[in-house]
Amino acid sequence: MRVTLQEELDSLQADMLEEGDLVLRSLRGALNALRESDAELADEVIEFDDEVDRRYLAIEQGVEVLLARQTPVAVDLRLVLAMLHINLHLERMADYCVTIAKLTKLVADHDSEPGMIQAFEEMGSRGEEMIKVALDAFVDRDVERASSLVDLDELIDRANRRVVRHVLDLGPDPALSEWGLRMIVVSRCLERIGDHAVDIGEQVAYLVTGEFREFTDASHERQSSQ
Amino acid sequence: MPTDTMTTVMPIEIAQRSERTRLPTKLEPVFEISALSVSYGSTPAIREVTFDIGRNMVTAIIGPSGCGKSTFIRVLNRMNDLVPSARVSGKVLYHGEDLYRPRVDPVQVRRRIGMVFQKPNPFPKSIFDNVAWGLRVLGMKDDLKGRVERALEQAALWDDVKDRLKKSALGLSGGQQQRLCIARALAVEPDVLLMDEPASALDPIATSRIEDLMHELKQNYTIVVVTHNMQQAARVADMTAFFGIEVLPDKSRTGVLVEYDETQKIFTQPSDERTEGYVTGRFG
Amino acid sequence: MAADDEAQGLFVVDGRLRRRRIVNRVMEALATLAALVAVALLVIVVVSVVKNGWDALSVSFFTETPTFSALGESGGGIANSIVGSLILVTLATLFALPVGVLTAIYVSELAPRSVANVIRLALDVTNGLPTIVVGIFVFSAIVISRGQSALAGSFALAIIALPLIARSTQEVLRLVPPSLREAGLALGAPRWRTILGVVLPTSMGGILTGTTLAIARIAGETAPLLFTTSLAAMTVMWDPRDPVQSMPLTIFQYIEQPDPSYHAKAWATGAVLLAFVLVLSLCSKFFLARSRRRLSG
Repeated sequence: MRVTLQEELDSLQADMLEEGDLVLRSLRGALNALRESDAELADEVIEFDDEVDRRYLAIEQGVEVLLARQTPVAVDLRLVLAMLHINLHLERMADYCVTIAKLTKLVADHDSEPGMIQAFEEMGSRGEEMIKVALDAFVDRDVERASSLVDLDELIDRANRRVVRHVLDLGPDPALSEWGLRMIVVSRCLERIGDHAVDIGEQVAYLVTGEFREFTDASHERQSSQ
Repeated sequence: MPTDTMTTVMPIEIAQRSERTRLPTKLEPVFEISALSVSYGSTPAIREVTFDIGRNMVTAIIGPSGCGKSTFIRVLNRMNDLVPSARVSGKVLYHGEDLYRPRVDPVQVRRRIGMVFQKPNPFPKSIFDNVAWGLRVLGMKDDLKGRVERALEQAALWDDVKDRLKKSALGLSGGQQQRLCIARALAVEPDVLLMDEPASALDPIATSRIEDLMHELKQNYTIVVVTHNMQQAARVADMTAFFGIEVLPDKSRTGVLVEYDETQKIFTQPSDERTEGYVTGRFG
Repeated sequence: MAADDEAQGLFVVDGRLRRRRIVNRVMEALATLAALVAVALLVIVVVSVVKNGWDALSVSFFTETPTFSALGESGGGIANSIVGSLILVTLATLFALPVGVLTAIYVSELAPRSVANVIRLALDVTNGLPTIVVGIFVFSAIVISRGQSALAGSFALAIIALPLIARSTQEVLRLVPPSLREAGLALGAPRWRTILGVVLPTSMGGILTGTTLAIARIAGETAPLLFTTSLAAMTVMWDPRDPVQSMPLTIFQYIEQPDPSYHAKAWATGAVLLAFVLVLSLCSKFFLARSRRRLSG
């Protein structure tokens, strides 16, 4: 029954998971470029964003057409709306990867501080993990897994808060200082990627429970020093 | 360490999914209609309708009551001939042949262009005989049982009735009767299936079954469906034609083709404001 | 006081209601009485026929042909009348059924409006023709030149049955929904195939009903037979070219005889005719019920 609707939903979901895949590759590419100060790789990451944007637009249009033609209701409607939001979060994450790549290019020939590089690698890996968890939770409609993203986000948030201290400790060398300031932005990008992953988790919870609810509210519960 | 390069070949699954577009990229016309006008005596029904209907797709005709949808679809299989006062002008080409050329036999036309009606109208015969009657009349008597079974399968009715083929068709539910009528029409192997509001007399579940059926059938048949239910057109049709009502200088009203396009365009971004007014439900 | 106010609400029982109730009851009583009278008439007729003919009914009544004693008493039975009536009715139906049905098909399916109206009018007039006029017509057309025969008699009966069958068939055809015809035509079946294969079978129950009633009617017609097949031998005749005896004529002839033994036989013949008509009526009800069941699944 409603074979077409089901086919359309499956197709959209598959396209979105593909997009998630591309975002992961983009992130890995950006992290590698950052670690190796590889300007060429950074360029490839920037180019690659077109792929993600194409998917993003296709899914946007797919959602529009599906809403117009199939008038989904109940869980189908929630799924479509969730995908609309998740699509946006994925695209934003890819944009942040581009920003990281651009910053990498900008200071490719500068010296770097290995400790911070290592920290970014850890933050980035955690980010990758969170994206995977978020997408898996979506596929399995698993709210518990989705809520676990909040705790995963903790590491990234704490690391991000320590970055300013680290940069201040870098010393008077102007090149290094410039590098450090750029790295603050990189850290911020990684932190935002984590946040978007949590947002995806919230969409999963909405899809399953029908309630719009944030897992954590920035103005409550946790201390944020931003 | 191997650098992760971004330029990779698209995985095969993605390529396959792109091929699963429901709309053929090129519309192969089965019907080419030009300047078609129909009137009943002096009352105009539709005026100067021109468009092509494509092969192996579902084309929906939508519009407010009185816009001539039923009149139009009945032109396609010469059913309008049954109304003595009907006058048809213009050209209706079916695979290149004008259906209204003087020497054309309407009976032959209807063998290739079948029709299913709004209210299910099975014959008061057994289920088997309903499907077999057309076959017997048209001389397709070889492997009668096989043909009947295949037709019922195509109409997604075989499992429901295979154990009671000799029972009266009138004992079936409304949705089943309509699928029986579809089987009856398909048994004689038409090229085109015309459906005049096929689900409007049915409950939502039966309607959904019929819609799924249309989706299946379009692989082998060309389907034209008239519907007053816009959402149905949105769900099932590949192409949609919107007929509107035009008021002529002498105050009489006639149906005209306002817009004909891919369904997704009609329902997301129609070109004509009359179309938009109709599909948004704001008028008509 | 509060209870009284309550009773003064929207739906109060007052004098108007009481009057209406009385009028209702009176009307019901009158209608019931009328129905009883109608049934009573039938019962009275049947009872008197059976009572008067009872003595003459026996097995030999059905199997023997009439004999005549020298004393003017009647003997034997009415075997020849029974056979004769059967022959007349069968031949008449054989002619009137196909012609009547085809006429009805023409009028309701094929003829243009104006032509159909004319034919319908003609059928109605034929229906109203006095049966004796039909009789003398056949007399002058056939009997004068070729003598009496069962064929002539059945022809006269057929003329009477024809409009009955045509009319009832027409009515049944009209009841076949146009959607059924459309369905047949939409399959690419020619018109006549649709009529024969869909419309006719659907109306068969009604056609049989109408035919059965027509048969019941003509079985008892006397006037057309008076001039066409009244001078028959008193033996069982099978050849339709000869005149045959028939039950209504037997009644007519016997009741005029002086000897009371003939009278009893006349009443008995009447009873046989009644039984025949009753069986046919029940059959027609059966056909109607069966076709209703088929049409509603």
